[in-house]
Amino acid sequence: METRELLDPRVLFVTGKGGVGKSTVAAALALAAVRTGRRTCLVEVEGRQTMARVFGTEPWDFDEREIRPDLFGMSVDPEASLSEYLDMFYGARRISKLVVGSTAVEFATTAAPGIKDVLLIGKVKELERRREPDGRFAYDLIVVDAPPTGRIVNFLRAPDATTELVNVGPIRGQAQSLVDMLLDGARTHLQLVTLLEEMPVEETVDSAEALRELGVTVGPIIVNRALEPGLDEEARAALVDGLDNGEVVAAAGEAGVDLTEEDAERLLARGERHLHRLELEERMRERLRGAHTPVAELPFLASREFREPQVSALADRLVELTA
Amino acid sequence: MPPQRRDAETLAAARERDLAEAIAERHVLVCTGSGGVGKTTTAASIALAAAAQGRRTLVLTIDPARRLAQSLGLSSLDNTPRQVAGVEHLDAMMLDMKRTFDEVIERHAESADRARTITSNRFYQQMSSSLAGTQEYMAMEKLYDLHSQGRYDCLVIDTPPTRNALDFLDAPKRLTDFLEGRFLKMFLTPGVAAGRVASKAVGVGTGMFMRAASRITGSGVMADLAGFFQSLDGMYEGFKARAQAVYRLLQSPESGFIVVTTPEEHALREARYFLQRLAQDGMPTAGLVVNRTTVPDLPHASADALAAAGAALDGAPGRRAVGALLGLAAADLDVAHREERALAAALHDLDPRVLVEVPQRAEDVHDVEGLAWVGRRLLGEAVR
Repeated sequence: METRELLDPRVLFVTGKGGVGKSTVAAALALAAVRTGRRTCLVEVEGRQTMARVFGTEPWDFDEREIRPDLFGMSVDPEASLSEYLDMFYGARRISKLVVGSTAVEFATTAAPGIKDVLLIGKVKELERRREPDGRFAYDLIVVDAPPTGRIVNFLRAPDATTELVNVGPIRGQAQSLVDMLLDGARTHLQLVTLLEEMPVEETVDSAEALRELGVTVGPIIVNRALEPGLDEEARAALVDGLDNGEVVAAAGEAGVDLTEEDAERLLARGERHLHRLELEERMRERLRGAHTPVAELPFLASREFREPQVSALADRLVELTA
Repeated sequence: MPPQRRDAETLAAARERDLAEAIAERHVLVCTGSGGVGKTTTAASIALAAAAQGRRTLVLTIDPARRLAQSLGLSSLDNTPRQVAGVEHLDAMMLDMKRTFDEVIERHAESADRARTITSNRFYQQMSSSLAGTQEYMAMEKLYDLHSQGRYDCLVIDTPPTRNALDFLDAPKRLTDFLEGRFLKMFLTPGVAAGRVASKAVGVGTGMFMRAASRITGSGVMADLAGFFQSLDGMYEGFKARAQAVYRLLQSPESGFIVVTTPEEHALREARYFLQRLAQDGMPTAGLVVNRTTVPDLPHASADALAAAGAALDGAPGRRAVGALLGLAAADLDVAHREERALAAALHDLDPRVLVEVPQRAEDVHDVEGLAWVGRRLLGEAVR
């Protein structure tokens, strides 16, 4: 696995611990895919409408819509997937009307949580296999803003979270074909996203290990919000050796910024925190090496807002990484 | 008053207040919020602060970071409160969800044999670990249990790291809805368990549903599932009464919810949703804690001017270092601006009563000293 293979499979399941910015990274991956000539579908599965906010569009739903040239967006929910699934396999609208009510979905999520994931991943597989009349695939890449890693691991352990409960019906067969897709490294990568912080890194290393044991191909780990040092080695050394308040006031004054002694003291403390943070990040990078997967880093953007232009800047960075 | 000014005044007033009253007075404090926002750290800090005031305190956590767990002396998931070494009046415990669920069954089952039949059922084993909302519900169940024992003055609980923190509020209601629902009644209809789904004894609607469902899952599964639900029959009233008691405890003024977030837009949106839901359900909100905020060191400077000045400083390493410091100050101003806007948007038309901001530190909080540092901010004893 190399970083330039980041966008090569047919499906990317983007996953990670809460708060690491997995949706942002999924959106950036989709934009990067479009920029490298791929017709792309970005799929949201948890109905949070995060993507509609990022791209400033109407709320997304089960119908795929071209939100930017060659970039399609949709939101998958289990209820709509179940309805489509029943129509597809049974052509039975009457059954689907009967089953697709709150009680049936309650059943799907309550009695056998795996079923919900069969339905969600089933829709992804349908997008992946779909072909145009001329025989080409409808999409070159499907990027899924996926559920947390734990749920994906559970699903993979289980055609059995499902099969133990659902051992004979057609869902069993369906679950197996989904597992086949997930385990085929040419078709699917699991894309882990992390921050250079202790808990997310620990979890990422553990997940990468667990996923590999299950036979999944883990794509390059994406580190989100990596700090830019902003200091070369010599400047860093000068800061570590200890500038005094007077020196800070003098240099800032030359650049046209008037500082008080207290300002200078606070800035020096800020500099120290920054150096600490850089050291922590360095330790976390070291720890990530234990995952035996290449790491692609996206920078922390100190922008006044975070919208499509910022996601677009991250996409540019991803395009560079795959060049 | 124009809405923007009203919002600004509400925000400013909330910033003036702190969690000292909640920490000193309330019996149950529930920390909630989306994943990765520092709920466990906040819960542990609150518990430490309450214990320091001499209140017998227990912090119940779900999934703490390894180093934080170690600092609290928690090494295993065993549902047993343990004294935190070196801290008077403070116990900590990690929730074992499966064991809590087993205890619930044992409490409500008419005999030990019956309980064993249920807990060894394959559906039970699946459900007790993965039923949507189970983890949330079990946390509440354990909380109620601890409350009833009366050993503690203050119970601080950390809710599960689900992305949808609302699951937790919904859990008691979801359980009662489910128990009263058409779906369950269908399973409890005689005949279903015996697999005679087409039998006349079963209503037409039920028969159709069961046939439809069986086509998806296979018929044996539906019959087994029905058998499982029937084995629980007779226990539903007990579950329901308990769920309602938990709900009442949480709703009482001796409880308080603390919504935890980071200044990221995404987490703040969840916090807003949660504050709205608490208000809707008449739950007592104790306040909003925003973890890891950016505090600009030169709050009155212009970010653009600082960035330009920073970039212009070249020459000796010392000067370049000062340039970098100005660059950091500029970036902090921009980020603080973004955070402030996201916070204002999240609190539009809402009053969290108390708003405490805990600044970003160079290192994650993972020891008692760090927890005490956070605690001082929650109590309003330290500003930065």
